[in-house]
Amino acid sequence: MNKESPLMKMQYRSVYKVPNGKLLKIRLKYDEKSNLIDEINITGDFFAYPEEAIESMENKLKDTLLEKEILLKKIGSIVREENIQFIGVDVESLTKGILMCKK
Amino acid sequence: MKEQWRLLETGYGSAFTNMAMDRAVLVANSEGKVLPTVRFYGWEPSAISIGYFQSLAEEIDLDVCKKLGVDYVRRITGGGAVYHEKELTYSIVISESHRAIPKNIMESYGKICGAVMKGLENLGIKSTYVPINDIITNGKKISGNAQTRKAKTVLQHGTVLTDVDVEKMFSLLKVPNEKIKDKLIADVKERVTSIKHVLGKEVLFEEIAHAMKIGFEQEFNVELVKGALTEEEKELTKKFEKECFSATNWNHRR
Repeated sequence: MNKESPLMKMQYRSVYKVPNGKLLKIRLKYDEKSNLIDEINITGDFFAYPEEAIESMENKLKDTLLEKEILLKKIGSIVREENIQFIGVDVESLTKGILMCKK
Repeated sequence: MKEQWRLLETGYGSAFTNMAMDRAVLVANSEGKVLPTVRFYGWEPSAISIGYFQSLAEEIDLDVCKKLGVDYVRRITGGGAVYHEKELTYSIVISESHRAIPKNIMESYGKICGAVMKGLENLGIKSTYVPINDIITNGKKISGNAQTRKAKTVLQHGTVLTDVDVEKMFSLLKVPNEKIKDKLIADVKERVTSIKHVLGKEVLFEEIAHAMKIGFEQEFNVELVKGALTEEEKELTKKFEKECFSATNWNHRR
C-alpha cells in the first residue's frame, strides 16, 4: 500500500486495555499531512448507552485534528450532545486509544 | 398477592432465533403489550455471540465456525464474545421505570445478577458479583451478563455455564498472537468455571432453569408464571431473525 497516495490511506490500529475497564480496539485512517481523521472505527467489548451513538461519534470525529486536547474536547462534547453513558471506557481512554494509532 | 411476571421457557434455539426473540419481547414490553418477562433458553447449534461494538472478523475465525457448524451472531448488547454451547441463558425484559429496577445502569446490573446468584445458590453454589458484568465462584467466572436499554425498557441477558470446552472455544476465537495461544488457553482455564466443575456432577438444564426461576422470584419478590410468546411476538421474532440477526449487513457491520 502506498502511503503517499491520497486515495489509499493507510489504516492504523490500536489495542488498548483500559485500566479497570474493557478492551478498546480502534482502526483509524487519517491524512498524514493535515493530521485530520479521515475514518475511524471504535470497537471492543465495552458498553455504551445508547449503542447507536457510537456510530454518530465515529461520523462526528471525521476531520478532527489528532491532538490530545482537541480530541478530549471533541469527544467530551459528542458525549454530551448524544447523552452517552459509557461503561468500561471513557473520554480519556478513547482519546488515548485514538492517539495510539498514530505512528 | 405477589406481582406476576411472565416466564418463557423456549428451550434450544438457533443464535438468530434466540437474539430475535429477546428483541421481540423487548419491543412488545416497551409497548405495554406484555408483562415483565424472564426467559430461559439454550443454543442449538452451538454459536458465538459478539458484543454490539466488536468487529466480527477481528474476533471470530469464520472459517473454523463454518467447518465446525458453529453459528455466529452480533448481539444488540455490548460486551465481549461468548461461545454458547453448554450453558443456560437467561434474559429479562422490564420497563426502566419499574420499581424493581434501579435507574442507574451499573446498579441494575448488580440487581439482576443478584437473581442469577440466588439461582446458583439454589443449586448449592456460592457466588460473588464482580462489577461490571461478571459473576464468579471460587474466584472463577461462571456467568457473564450484558444489558441494553431501548424505548425506556431494559433487556439484560446472560449465561450460566454448565460446562466449558476452552480448547474448542479458542479454536473459534481469533487470538492476537498464535505463539501465546497455549498460555491464553491455560489462563482462561484458570479463570473460568462451570456448574459441572463446581459441583463435580452434571446438572440437567431443566433443573438449572428451575433453580434460576426461584432465584428471580426471590430477588424480585414476584411470581413467575409460565407463559408463551404472543402472536405478535412470534411475528416480530421471525422479522428480526430474517432482517437483522441472520443478515450479513448486521453481523458484519463492524
